[in-house]
Amino acid sequence: MSSRAAAALATVRALQSALAAEHAAVYGYGVVGAHLTGSQQATATTDWVAHQVARDRLEAMLRSAGGSQPTAAAVAYQLPIPVRNAREAVALAVVLEDRIATAYLGLVALSNAAIREYGAQQVQASALRAAAWRGSTVAFPGLTSAALAAPSRPGS
Amino acid sequence: MAAHPTRRVVLAAAAMLPLAAVSGCDGVDVLDAPPSPAPDVTVLREAIAAEQLLITWYTAVLHDAGDAGGSPTALTAVLMPLLAEHHAHVAQLRSRLVVPAGSAASPSPTRRAATPAGPGVGSAGVAFLRDAEQAAAAAMLDRLRNAPGSLAQLYASISASEATHVPVLDAAAAGTTSRVTG
Repeated sequence: MSSRAAAALATVRALQSALAAEHAAVYGYGVVGAHLTGSQQATATTDWVAHQVARDRLEAMLRSAGGSQPTAAAVAYQLPIPVRNAREAVALAVVLEDRIATAYLGLVALSNAAIREYGAQQVQASALRAAAWRGSTVAFPGLTSAALAAPSRPGS
Repeated sequence: MAAHPTRRVVLAAAAMLPLAAVSGCDGVDVLDAPPSPAPDVTVLREAIAAEQLLITWYTAVLHDAGDAGGSPTALTAVLMPLLAEHHAHVAQLRSRLVVPAGSAASPSPTRRAATPAGPGVGSAGVAFLRDAEQAAAAAMLDRLRNAPGSLAQLYASISASEATHVPVLDAAAAGTTSRVTG
């Protein structure tokens, strides 16, 4: 495979991963909003819309990237944590945003400058939403502990 | 730990080889002039210096908060976690930095002479930190444009972290810390 073909394949894979995460977030925020009231529900609605917009953008990017068929949403999703009350709904929003940030970091590693920049902007947007739900900040939004440990332990 | 070579270092070292190969025929003599750091290394050093500057500013504001009397506890409780995250940023960035053998060693005080004035006291200090975080987040986005993939991801993550510090400092400036201590 040529390096250009390999790069195109990596781009499509990363976009599809981000799209799958956005589909899950759109579904998940529906559950989040259903368990909240007042200003928290309004925030959930705002975030839900943001994920719908991002999903549509990713689908358009996939179609323009070689006419790839965007991953479709599943009919239903297994929630990563049980949601029975407002506190658990907020916890789900945090999990959804953390997964979104990780997925968009996949775009940041690509060579396409425009997609890389869009990925970085989305990591930032997701981190802001996550911090608002969490009530605190984190040092490395989207980066897994494995990704953080790897560079300092080259011998392992 | 940073003394161990990583894949990046090997790449950096490999990038130096053609330069040495074409710069002379005198064997060992070509090693006399220390090679310039690769562009990635220069940008990484700038990122480390930027984080160190933020740490200096946070420390100054925290110091003033401790001296000011009144109720420094609330502000300290807001600033300390943010400062801890900057320390984590520096540690992670440093773990990616491996200086090619023979290149100029001291990485830290790249732009010490151009260091801008420090933060003020109290609310002025918080406002200064807020603006500094916003600028730092934007600068990290600039750095990732031409960075290798994994380093670009680290810059993006740190930029996002710094972007989340801005509303925290806004809330602290407004005297409403409930959102950040939640």
